[in-house]
Amino acid sequence: MTGPGTEEQPRSGDILARCEGVARTYRAGAVATVALQGVSCCVRAGDRIAATGPSGSGKSTLLHLLAGLDTPTVGTVSWPALGSRSCLRPGPLAVVFQAPSLLAPLNVEENVALPLLLAGVSPADARARASDALAALGLEDLAAKLPEELSGGQAQRVAVARALASRPRLLLADEPTGQLDHANGTLVIDALLAAAEANGAALVVTTHDERVAARLPQRWRLDDGRLVDGNMSACSA
Amino acid sequence: MLGLTWIAGLVRRRPLRLMGVAAGIALAVGLLASIGAFLSRSKATMTHRAVAGVAVDWQVEAQPGADPAAVFATVTAFPWVVTALPVGVADASGFQATTAGSTQTTGPGVVLGLPDGYTEAFPGVLRNLTGAPSGVLLAQQTAANLHSAPGGSVTVQRPGQGAVAVPVDGIVDLPQADSLFQRVGAPPGAQLQAPPDNVLIVPSARFAELFPASAVVPPRRQVHVRLDHRLPADPAAAFSAVSGRARNLEVRLAGAGMVGDNLGATLDSARGDALYAQVLFLFLGLPGALLAALLTAWVAAAGRDRRRREQALLRTRGATTRQLVGLASAEAAAVGITGGAVGLAVAAAVGRLAFGTARLGATTGSAAAWAAGCLLAGLAVAWAVIALPARADSRALTVRSAELGLARRRPPWWARAGVDVLALAGSALVFWLTGRNGYKLVLAPEGVPAISVSYWALAGPALLWLGAGLLAWRLVDLGLRRGRAVLRRLARPLAGNLAGTVAATLSRQRRTLARAVVLVALTAAFAASTAVFNATYRHQAGVDARLTNGADVTVAEPPGTTTGPGAAAQFASIPGVRHVEPLQHRFAYVGSDLQDLYGVRPGSVAAATQLQDAYFAGGTAKALMARLEAEPDGILVSAETVHDFQLQAGDHLQLRLQDGRTRQLTTVAFRYLGVAKEFPTAPRDSFLVANAGYVAEKTGSDAVGAFLLDTGGHSPAAVARQVSALVGPGPTVTDLSTTRRLVGSSLTAVDLTGLTRVELGFALALAVAACGLALALGFAERRRTFAIAGALGAGRRQLASLVWSEAAVMVVGGLGLGAVTGWSLAHMLVKVLTGVFDPPPSHLQVPWAYLFGVVGAGLAAAAAAATAAVRSARRAPLSVLRER
Repeated sequence: MTGPGTEEQPRSGDILARCEGVARTYRAGAVATVALQGVSCCVRAGDRIAATGPSGSGKSTLLHLLAGLDTPTVGTVSWPALGSRSCLRPGPLAVVFQAPSLLAPLNVEENVALPLLLAGVSPADARARASDALAALGLEDLAAKLPEELSGGQAQRVAVARALASRPRLLLADEPTGQLDHANGTLVIDALLAAAEANGAALVVTTHDERVAARLPQRWRLDDGRLVDGNMSACSA
Repeated sequence: MLGLTWIAGLVRRRPLRLMGVAAGIALAVGLLASIGAFLSRSKATMTHRAVAGVAVDWQVEAQPGADPAAVFATVTAFPWVVTALPVGVADASGFQATTAGSTQTTGPGVVLGLPDGYTEAFPGVLRNLTGAPSGVLLAQQTAANLHSAPGGSVTVQRPGQGAVAVPVDGIVDLPQADSLFQRVGAPPGAQLQAPPDNVLIVPSARFAELFPASAVVPPRRQVHVRLDHRLPADPAAAFSAVSGRARNLEVRLAGAGMVGDNLGATLDSARGDALYAQVLFLFLGLPGALLAALLTAWVAAAGRDRRRREQALLRTRGATTRQLVGLASAEAAAVGITGGAVGLAVAAAVGRLAFGTARLGATTGSAAAWAAGCLLAGLAVAWAVIALPARADSRALTVRSAELGLARRRPPWWARAGVDVLALAGSALVFWLTGRNGYKLVLAPEGVPAISVSYWALAGPALLWLGAGLLAWRLVDLGLRRGRAVLRRLARPLAGNLAGTVAATLSRQRRTLARAVVLVALTAAFAASTAVFNATYRHQAGVDARLTNGADVTVAEPPGTTTGPGAAAQFASIPGVRHVEPLQHRFAYVGSDLQDLYGVRPGSVAAATQLQDAYFAGGTAKALMARLEAEPDGILVSAETVHDFQLQAGDHLQLRLQDGRTRQLTTVAFRYLGVAKEFPTAPRDSFLVANAGYVAEKTGSDAVGAFLLDTGGHSPAAVARQVSALVGPGPTVTDLSTTRRLVGSSLTAVDLTGLTRVELGFALALAVAACGLALALGFAERRRTFAIAGALGAGRRQLASLVWSEAAVMVVGGLGLGAVTGWSLAHMLVKVLTGVFDPPPSHLQVPWAYLFGVVGAGLAAAAAAATAAVRSARRAPLSVLRER
């Protein structure tokens, strides 16, 4: 069986995800809230992008669109080097969420192995790869612990390990340090960068923390649902 | 103000949680109120039936030396007396009659002197069988003993006076002879063992001629009284009122008269039945209400983690413990009042459907009190399941620890102490002790004002409920903890390579699952035990009616008949009649004791009537009938006769029966085969069952006492109408459906039909709620878990495997354990409530259709909840992922 991370690796510069003229409007009864409008951008293999902006600027919405968790109201989102939307997760794309996202009844190793099992990897292989992912982030001692026994930083690093285990080509992290103190936040960003490096994956991190953003070489700046700063011309290739 | 804002927010944001808890409270309140309405109405019905069944309310007897006219005047002037008539009672040394050259003489008897208009004033005293309804009337058995018929004459032998002959105008039955011939003023132990066998009734004028006041043995003078029947609805209160009035009259009579309080005696018995109704309420209704409360607690507990997080958030914003408890109390009050109001409305609707009235009590006051009590119970449940845990959490939990749950692995205190095993052992012990006492729950000694219920016996089923619930929890916890490998194998067909994940999830959520399984098991047990109990009760009520009536339709021949079994052919040709069985009815002297003797055709009697094994001792019904056929001189006798005569199997009995040819008593030899405790149409005390062919041969008469007609499913009432039209006024035709309504002895007076409907309806609702609502709320509380799995890429089938495996454990485990618990409870309830059954059942009746319906509804509810959970997980909004 073909599992995540076993496919052909994209070449540097390949477009992994692309937004073209994207807008997203949420409706609650008669009230419409424009979360994003007129956004065009792309993520290429090897990118390290920090998407920044104040709260409500549309960072998470953009990330969810890139992850295929949401669909745009206007415009298109595509994944030229990854495949169709339906085969992104579990597979070539992984997401780290803002809030704790480990499944409470599963221990750390089982949580990390879960995306692999969902992708059809055999239980034995999934366990082995989960152990490797935990070891890569120095979390092997936590393997048997339950999420409720972890600190916030530990839980978020385990979530990174879970994303890493499926060897994604595009790693998206939505405010991964938003609920952590600086020290734990640093550890999580280190883990994300290490995971991306180890897999040769592109990394997009949304954050409103300048110190976190400063760790990534590329920057998208969003304000009031618009992408006001970013290398949009690169998407035409 | 803060409370209102909080509740408004909950209504907008957590409607499912509020509705779930309110629905549980509505169920609890609805069940309590409905059962309370049943109890109240049953008591009123019992009082009404008891009063309606009494022919003469009071028999006031003038004491020797007192002036009967003054006694009559005092009685007539007594405030609650509606009708009062003077009656004379005199003893006769015997009666004699000569028929067709043969003279019969009876032993001592009684002569009653009744005034004009008596039968109209007291219609229940006499039932005319043949001849004129008034004049000189002979009791049925006396007529049989004397071979007398209307148109003949009877000689009355008067003590201290000569004999005098009177013409016989009619033959009557005395349905309430026991009370009519009581020794007025004598204590219960000094009453007659049986009413007199020989009774003659004459008009007052002739009575005065026969038994003048100046006679050597002067007659007794009574005043028969009908009272104002506006009495309290509760039999106990009615008894108290009537007996108090009787004592008041005796005080007014100042020793000149004593009151024979027939109405009080009947109400005395009815108040015992009322206590049985109360016991039924406790045994059958209370568990349902407690289960509804448990369901409510479960629903509330499903939202406890979320509530804890909300509470933790409020604490970080500076809320004090008092404010937190205040908010929880406001939420409890809101759902308690809403649920309670809905519950009362449900009870009113149920009352209208089941009992024909929306009122919750027999009187406005009792209805209001009961409604208020139920509403308070609903508020108490709401407070217990919402405010109490919130209060405990606010005092014991830190913000961080509020999030912990799965890591707490220590077994609960009761499991470590073995409370489940102790409760089951205690239940068995109480059951055994109750059994040694003959399962006597209601202790109502006749004539004694104090009446009591052995509530101790309730401990048996109560401990079984408790023990079974806790043991189910322990078994599920153990199974899910130790049986992960088995779970993985079982889940593999559904979950594929996620089987291990499914097994781990089930195992780590075992506490939550165990609670859910216990809830489903207990609701299933409630439905099963209630349904089996009700079905068995209904069946036995039918058996009782059939035992009384004999068959679907019974044609009782008048006394002195010579109709033979050949007459069966005329009934067999009536449409709807499947089988006709002739049944002899004679009187036989066992020593000096006159007993009813029934001659049966052993090979075919069961084709027309129901013979249960419980009716006999010393063999099954089938075996004893086979022996009676193979050994025609065999006879089945009552246990009392066996005891009195110290009979052993095979002993010979010499009985004296009337010879049909000579009209003289002739001795017939029988051989004792076994004991008959009950027999269709037979009285409850002593009787005999013999082979009809043998009796006919030895007495020279094949005269039939009754024809038993089996209608094979056709309407007994319709067949009875055709039979009545065929046979004319002589024979008495009765049918099963009429008898079923009339059988009013003991607790069968309580019409359980309404209770059955209410109980079974609520049991079904509880089972559906337990399987569906609890599962749905559990899934709703964990929708973020499923949303995360979906965000990680779980497909529909994979999400379904997580959801369905949980639902399967809950439903299969719950229904399986519930079936075992329900069966045990049904057995225990039927045993402990033996006093309710008349006759006692030989085996339980299982209403399979209802039980399959409950299982089907439970499965459907669980399937709907699981399907909705899968759909919800697939469509979870992204905002769910951001929740903590």
